[in-house]
Amino acid sequence: MKRLEQRIAIVTGAGQGIGRAIALGLAREGAGIVIADINEKSANKVKNEIEAAGGSALAIHADVSNENSVEAMVEKTLEAFRRVDILVNNAGIFPTSSVEEMSEADWDRVIGTNLIGAFLCARAVVPKFLKQGTGRIISFTSGRAFQGAKNGAHYAASKAGIIGFSKSLALELAPHGITVNVICPGITDTAQPRGHQTEEQIYAQAQRIPLGRIGQPEDLVGPAIFLASDAASFVTGQTILVNGGSIMW
Amino acid sequence: MADKIAIVTGGAGGIGRAVVTRLARAGFGIFVVDKNEKAGKETVELLREQDHVAEFYRVDLQYKTEVQDLFQTIYAKTKRIDALVNLAGGTLHKSPIQDFSLSDWREVINVNLKGTFLCCQAVLKPMKTRKEGIIINTSSNFGITGSGGRTAYAAAKAAIIAFTKSVAVEAAPFGVRANVIAPGLTATARVMTGHTETEWRKLGKQIPMGRAADPKDIAEAVNFLSSDESAYITGQLLHVNGGMVFT
Repeated sequence: MKRLEQRIAIVTGAGQGIGRAIALGLAREGAGIVIADINEKSANKVKNEIEAAGGSALAIHADVSNENSVEAMVEKTLEAFRRVDILVNNAGIFPTSSVEEMSEADWDRVIGTNLIGAFLCARAVVPKFLKQGTGRIISFTSGRAFQGAKNGAHYAASKAGIIGFSKSLALELAPHGITVNVICPGITDTAQPRGHQTEEQIYAQAQRIPLGRIGQPEDLVGPAIFLASDAASFVTGQTILVNGGSIMW
Repeated sequence: MADKIAIVTGGAGGIGRAVVTRLARAGFGIFVVDKNEKAGKETVELLREQDHVAEFYRVDLQYKTEVQDLFQTIYAKTKRIDALVNLAGGTLHKSPIQDFSLSDWREVINVNLKGTFLCCQAVLKPMKTRKEGIIINTSSNFGITGSGGRTAYAAAKAAIIAFTKSVAVEAAPFGVRANVIAPGLTATARVMTGHTETEWRKLGKQIPMGRAADPKDIAEAVNFLSSDESAYITGQLLHVNGGMVFT
């Protein structure tokens, strides 16, 4: 039996990497998927993949840091599917810069996408969730939230902010049966770490990870399905670390 | 015999029964381990009625020889244990610190913490040799927040978290995972008998989600952590508490 039949999920940043894996994974469990991405071409590719596997999907160009774009994303979702049950806040960016040299524009862009973007997407779906009396919000943080990031202070701050935001939203929405949780991947085999690390550096980290390998996008799918499904209906405000034991919290 | 074997300590208790039922449904043959013989036999009967493979062993887990005998017997029969779920434990004694006798304090630590240690120790070597295995231990929201009158229980439950993380680090290179579940207030007969109906409802209302956990909520979390869907999760603490406590 598929666990997410009849449900509609918006996955932001679903055009590639972890977001793509989550979109495909939720679709496998029967959910209709809105692939929201700033890159429309990659969003369409994922849509085709889901449809080719017999799933239902809609690709939407969305900039999560832009209020109007986010509102339009949710409107288009409701036009197409008439409902929304799951929001996965995955979209994020990780440019590098030391704090001394960090421009205000860079700071605003990272906080605006990673943290304010999660807020805007959550705010846009909550009225519908409240009307339905159900809903799931799953946001992605990072190990950097716990350990900081050299040359990534804006990123670490935005990802720690996701956790504080999600706990607060969990408290606000718990009386309505809506859960809000966070998934924290470790280093994952996607394009993102390749922006600031060499292949060798990426794979060398496996030696320091207790389970002996870096994460694959697919490792995040089971936890996302768990949190999105009825199995986790009493789990809220929590952060699940999926990192091979690299950080235990 | 089933394809996969799970040992569930405290498997005849309120949470235990929901856990063994869920794991049996996931295809595990179940060894129910409990101090309560009557409840243990009933639990196994319930599982067998649903065509699941189950056996009961009565063991007091604070005693090393009893634990050793238990696992020797099980390994002799099955040659393998795929999942160990340590649920056995409880507050046992509630008392202000100045009145807490050393023997009571020690009993609480032994039943909760030492029992968990002894069972983990018994399965780790064979699991590491087979290069697979899953351990799930049980903490409590009190292991994070503490609880007046429960100094020993809170200490034991906090200790189980650090203990499990240490086991996770030792076992990870062998593909063996260890995680902890922390249930919050859970609607079991044992917990509910301590409260009037009005008190119980009031307690539920204090939880953000407005109710206590159903034992099934805990069982679903155990099922997740014992499945391949959590293959890259080890050394972690999963709270199932309706938003009562965050870490």
